[in-house]
Amino acid sequence: MLNAALPWLLAGFLIVLGAGAVRRISLWRAGRPAPVDLIAGLMAMPRRYLVDLHHVVDRDKAMSNTHVATAGGFVASMALILLVHGFGVDNVWLARALLLTTVVMFAGAVLVFRRRLNPPSRLSKGPWMRLPKSLLVFAATFFIVTLPAAGILPDGFGSGILAFVLLAGIVAGLGEMLLGMGWAGPMKHAFAGALHLAFHRRPERFGGGRSTGLKLLDLDTAGDKTLGVAKPADFTWNQLLGFDACVQCGRCEAMCPAFAAGQPLNPKKLIQDMVVGLAGGTDANYAGSPYPGKEVGKAKGSAIEVITEGLVSQETLWACTTCRACVEECPMMIEHVDAIVDMRRFLTLEKGTTPGKGSETLQNLIATDNPHGNDPASRTYWAADQNLPVMADVKEADVLFWVSDGAFDMRSQRILRAFVKIMKTAKVNFAVLGDEERDCGDLARRLGDDATFQSLARRNIEVLKKYRFKRIVTTDPHAFHVLKNEYPDLGGSYEVLHHTRFINELVEQGRLQLNARTGGTVTYHDPCYLGRYNGEYDAPRAVLNAMGIQLAEMERSGFRSRCCGGGGGAPITDIPGERRIADMRMDDIRATGAEVVAVGCQQCTAMLEGVVEPRPEVQDIAEMVAAQLVDVAEPATAREVA
Amino acid sequence: MSLDKSLKVRVLVSVGQHPKSGRERRADQDSRALELALGMPGFSVGLLHAGSESPALREYLGMGVKAIDVLKQPSSADVVPALVQALRNDSPDLVLCGTRAETGEASGMTPYRVANALGWPLVPAVVSISRGSDGTYEVLQALPRGQRRLLKVRTPFVATVDPAAAEARQSAFGPAQRGQLQAVAVASVADPAANDLEFSPARKRPKRIAAARKATTAAERFKAATVKSASKGGQVLVKETAAEKASAILNLLVAEGVIAVDSPS
Amino acid sequence: MSSIIRKDPRKNWILRNRLHPLHQQMLVAEGAGNNAVVRGPSGLIRKNPHNIGFIGPNGIKRIDRLGGSGTVVAAGQRGEAVDTRLPLVQISNPESWIVVVPDLAGGRLTSHDRDVLGQARQLAAANPACAVVALVFGDLSENLADDSNGLALAGVDRLLHFSGDDWNGYCPEQELAAMLAVHRQLLPQHWLFPDTHLSGNDRALRLATRLEERPAMHAWQIRDGRVTCRAGSERNDVTRSLPKVVALLAECAMPVDDSRHEVLPMALPELPGVLARIQDAGAVAVDPNQIAMAEAGFILSAGNGIHDWEQFHEAARVLGATEGASRVAVDDGFMPRFRQVGATGTWVTARVYVAVGISGAVQHLQGIGACEKVIAINTDAGCDMVKRADLSVIGDSQEILAALIEQVKALRQPAASEGGRHHVA
Ligand SMILES: Cc1cc2nc3c(=O)[nH]c(=O)nc-3n(C[C@H](O)[C@H](O)[C@H](O)COP(=O)(O)OP(=O)(O)OC[C@H]3O[C@@H](n4cnc5c(N)ncnc54)[C@H](O)[C@@H]3O)c2cc1C
Ligand code: SF4
Ligand code: SF4
Repeated sequence: MLNAALPWLLAGFLIVLGAGAVRRISLWRAGRPAPVDLIAGLMAMPRRYLVDLHHVVDRDKAMSNTHVATAGGFVASMALILLVHGFGVDNVWLARALLLTTVVMFAGAVLVFRRRLNPPSRLSKGPWMRLPKSLLVFAATFFIVTLPAAGILPDGFGSGILAFVLLAGIVAGLGEMLLGMGWAGPMKHAFAGALHLAFHRRPERFGGGRSTGLKLLDLDTAGDKTLGVAKPADFTWNQLLGFDACVQCGRCEAMCPAFAAGQPLNPKKLIQDMVVGLAGGTDANYAGSPYPGKEVGKAKGSAIEVITEGLVSQETLWACTTCRACVEECPMMIEHVDAIVDMRRFLTLEKGTTPGKGSETLQNLIATDNPHGNDPASRTYWAADQNLPVMADVKEADVLFWVSDGAFDMRSQRILRAFVKIMKTAKVNFAVLGDEERDCGDLARRLGDDATFQSLARRNIEVLKKYRFKRIVTTDPHAFHVLKNEYPDLGGSYEVLHHTRFINELVEQGRLQLNARTGGTVTYHDPCYLGRYNGEYDAPRAVLNAMGIQLAEMERSGFRSRCCGGGGGAPITDIPGERRIADMRMDDIRATGAEVVAVGCQQCTAMLEGVVEPRPEVQDIAEMVAAQLVDVAEPATAREVA
Repeated sequence: MSLDKSLKVRVLVSVGQHPKSGRERRADQDSRALELALGMPGFSVGLLHAGSESPALREYLGMGVKAIDVLKQPSSADVVPALVQALRNDSPDLVLCGTRAETGEASGMTPYRVANALGWPLVPAVVSISRGSDGTYEVLQALPRGQRRLLKVRTPFVATVDPAAAEARQSAFGPAQRGQLQAVAVASVADPAANDLEFSPARKRPKRIAAARKATTAAERFKAATVKSASKGGQVLVKETAAEKASAILNLLVAEGVIAVDSPS
Repeated sequence: MSSIIRKDPRKNWILRNRLHPLHQQMLVAEGAGNNAVVRGPSGLIRKNPHNIGFIGPNGIKRIDRLGGSGTVVAAGQRGEAVDTRLPLVQISNPESWIVVVPDLAGGRLTSHDRDVLGQARQLAAANPACAVVALVFGDLSENLADDSNGLALAGVDRLLHFSGDDWNGYCPEQELAAMLAVHRQLLPQHWLFPDTHLSGNDRALRLATRLEERPAMHAWQIRDGRVTCRAGSERNDVTRSLPKVVALLAECAMPVDDSRHEVLPMALPELPGVLARIQDAGAVAVDPNQIAMAEAGFILSAGNGIHDWEQFHEAARVLGATEGASRVAVDDGFMPRFRQVGATGTWVTARVYVAVGISGAVQHLQGIGACEKVIAINTDAGCDMVKRADLSVIGDSQEILAALIEQVKALRQPAASEGGRHHVA
């Protein structure tokens, strides 16, 4: 009886799954068009899944194994089920293989079940608590149902009461696995996730690549086209698809500095709210941690309603420091920062509601090319005594030193001077742009003002075109990132180096000699825009090593470094929380027992020095190096600088 | 409050300049005037500019206004006749302006001359306007240091908006691009006195050294002496008793006139 | 002095206080200038060792061996003493006029008024028969009303005084009518105004509009018949021939300090009836703590070094100061967010900013860049706020605030009970 019903059951479930999938796809297609190579994406998908995604998941070994067993077991089982029970292929070995895969899946499901007994707070509850049981039922039922086919039990097995029990198991298991996949159950992640990997908006991220620059916004306002994302339907379709891939694992939440500081942001909830938005409805079914300080159940929206009018509060979007910790951590490779900035673009460019000092800062950037409204003709005052070669005079240099807006800030000027001293000691042939330099546009762009970003960037590129240089070096990781990764979209491609890498080169080439540093313990804080955005983890450490420093690493360092709170315009929008992100980071630093924290960013310096004393001292690597320089009277070789 | 849709407020806006870079922008006070207008329930808001169609005017549009009427005038023109003509045609109930322009002579005469030509009262340094019970408008005027005075005026009138009025909302790029600069051709009158004006970069004004002034009273002389000593690096009291330290503070407060010694009558 | 020795706590407080601006004056008033008799707390006469000598015009202390007959000390005395010292300038039959409309804030000449009068005198000097007329609206303070020396010393030859209740509020239309009447009567060469928010500025613009004159506003230098004004955004100066109506910035000229003038009252012109379309409904009471931070003139600001918040609030109340805070005080929940001063808070412009227990982080200092006088109360003499401050007292905030509260209360009480008022310049 069961055998007769099974093919029909399977067919029925598959049809409903298909219908669900079609509906889901139509939801995604409400989004704006995006340039995606569909075929190439689909072809690349298995590799992306098995290699790239696994790479991320594998950071949590136990979970990785669990997932391999469960998912692998399920995919194999499902294929075999279709053969054995769907098409009735009568082959004992196939059936035995199916038995094996269900056992594997069962084992995986047991691990899932165990994890769910006492789940960490970052995991969502609700339907996700049901999932391991459904997995167990699915695996167990099909194990038993297949026993006759495998010749282990007689054919007549499974009639009467047992048949009903098994039937119920099959319906429950297939319901969760197939219906849930198409109709927004937890298993949706498998379906959406697979397609998301295929049609990802940043295919460069697969195969070990890196893609972190924000995408250019088309500023054409003709025909009432909204700038930025007002409604879920304003996202590109593959962004919507990406949101649907979220497994609510909460790894992003666990890493998010704003969430930890009690600011009203939780990247996981944000992605889930986007899912609510794209499908329409409320967040009443959301079973994870809320935005700190905000009640769950009040948010509602649909694909064509403005997101910030009921679905997500504006503060939530402004609390993000764009540190990319969530993106780095997400096993589904979802792009939270892109989504947040897209929505900020709408708020700034269309609504004009950048909070805090945002409006003032943007006005300054427009009127003076720097965020504090300083006289643009006073950019070189800091170097009045430094006798720096200016490009307008020399026209050509090996290294263009991008000074950044640190030129206007007394504390940052100490870093700039230290770096100039280093370059002079190493006899680097360098020049600065002087008053021709403008803010790189990082801040305007993260605040959603892509118009001002593009205007600044275009004018900087114009200036850069006039001069000849081999590479750009800067002490500011934000400028570094923007020049290196975001100017190419506007036609400016350069070799850009962070000063730590450049110093390291000089040391390796023997053009700088450093004394060993004595004194207390040192730790190093990875700036987000240097580390996660650009993968530069080694050079700063190498330079510190060259001074004989044994780093006392923080628990959260390298790609898991915790943000200082200074990125994304967060200090300007200044959304209140329960703690300051910088205070938490300082606690991380204190935990190492360090007396000095080395940094490679003037923004990090400002944020960490904003922590009330007593606290470890904050020094830029340039300052530390400048203090350890061996005065080489006559350089061994007066080699030309590369 | 009954909303009378027929009420019209016109805001006169100019092209400002950033004080540090000199780059064109919306003028700060004019945009505060627009902010005030946008916050007045029941008024339809219109913008008027006499001059050229500078792109900086779009920053006003970015505050959420659909269009600006630009009365085309050469830079050598006296813009008041054109403004007055346009306002006569339009007959608004209320005209708002900034107190002082950011470019040119910036004498602050324009609103006074406009009011005079229209025969309307001029209310200066306004921070808020609300409708009173008896058909008059209640106008809060900014006095120095956060003090306020209440005035009552009937429409129509011209008001200049004080720098202490609420800060202008952010100007958003999208609406700024979509809004219209509607050019209106009008006759222009040349400014006869403009030739006499000789512009030069602002010279630093010598700071009067307090002590150099011939002091007439002991108190003045004393003040001169304290001002001088205070201006160089600051005095630090360490060893004195708490009472002595407190009285040093008090003396400075009294000398600066921020604490009233006479009992308030 | 009567034979009964009475203690006047306020007077004693000033006498004990060398730093009090009225200290010298009080000594002089007490009788003997340098040889002032000071009674100590026990009633015994004390010789004040600090009172030997006086501070000279250049700020350096001098010892006067002439026993108090030195002119400078005597200058502190009012009335006769002055009259005998400075030459009286008399203009018996003026042929031309320069009218000055001083602000007279609170009925007193402001230093800005004196500067404008000084400028008027310089312009009048070209013609010995040119008189400086002060056109005054509203009541004068007791000082000026009782004793015309104030105006005489500032350089006023003639006085046109519209006084009485009608003239005390904001009545720009009526003032304009009066100015026009005066204009018709005198046809003055120039009208000079202090270019002050709402007073001089408003009057100058109204008058110029009706006279169809192009006024020189924000003027800061008059030289050789040309006037230089600050133009828009303070980026340019504009120089032109000197017009009839001029509104001058403070310190445009030196005030008069070497002559006395007659201050002869003049008959007031007939005024037409004026329809006042702007009605003054009076000042709005503003609690110092309601004043927008950016506008407040006197801020008492609290940081991480405040441990007794009740006391801090009391101090602000007693001093009549607007409260401010560092970010830490706000973050810790002791102060509301809108009170935060600094980069991410408000940029304040107070005349006096008292930083109590604030270390002076750059982000905080950015917010007080425009403050004229900064006072620091801090336990750490090495902190950046002390470097920024004009006056720093090193010590525990709680102790110092307590002493300050006590002294302010003491200062206020006797003054109130005596009903005496004295004005701080
Ligand atoms: C991006 C950014 C923006 C910021 N914006 C602002 C801003 O807008 N405004 C702002 O204020 N801060 C701002 N900060 C924070 C700033 O860096 C400092 O952390 C903060 O100003 C310190 O506050 P504080 O002086 O009250 O505290 P502390 O630095 O702890 O100083 C307390 C002071 O009190 C003194 N003290 C302690 N006990 C006593 C006592 N009993 N009596 C007297 N004195 C005592 C101590 O000597 C010390 O000097 C910002 C920081 C960052 C990174
Ligand atoms: S980028 Fe950083 S701050 Fe923003 S949501 Fe992700 S983890 Fe949180
Ligand atoms: S967004 Fe990514 S990291 Fe965050 S919960 Fe979803 S799947 Fe996990």
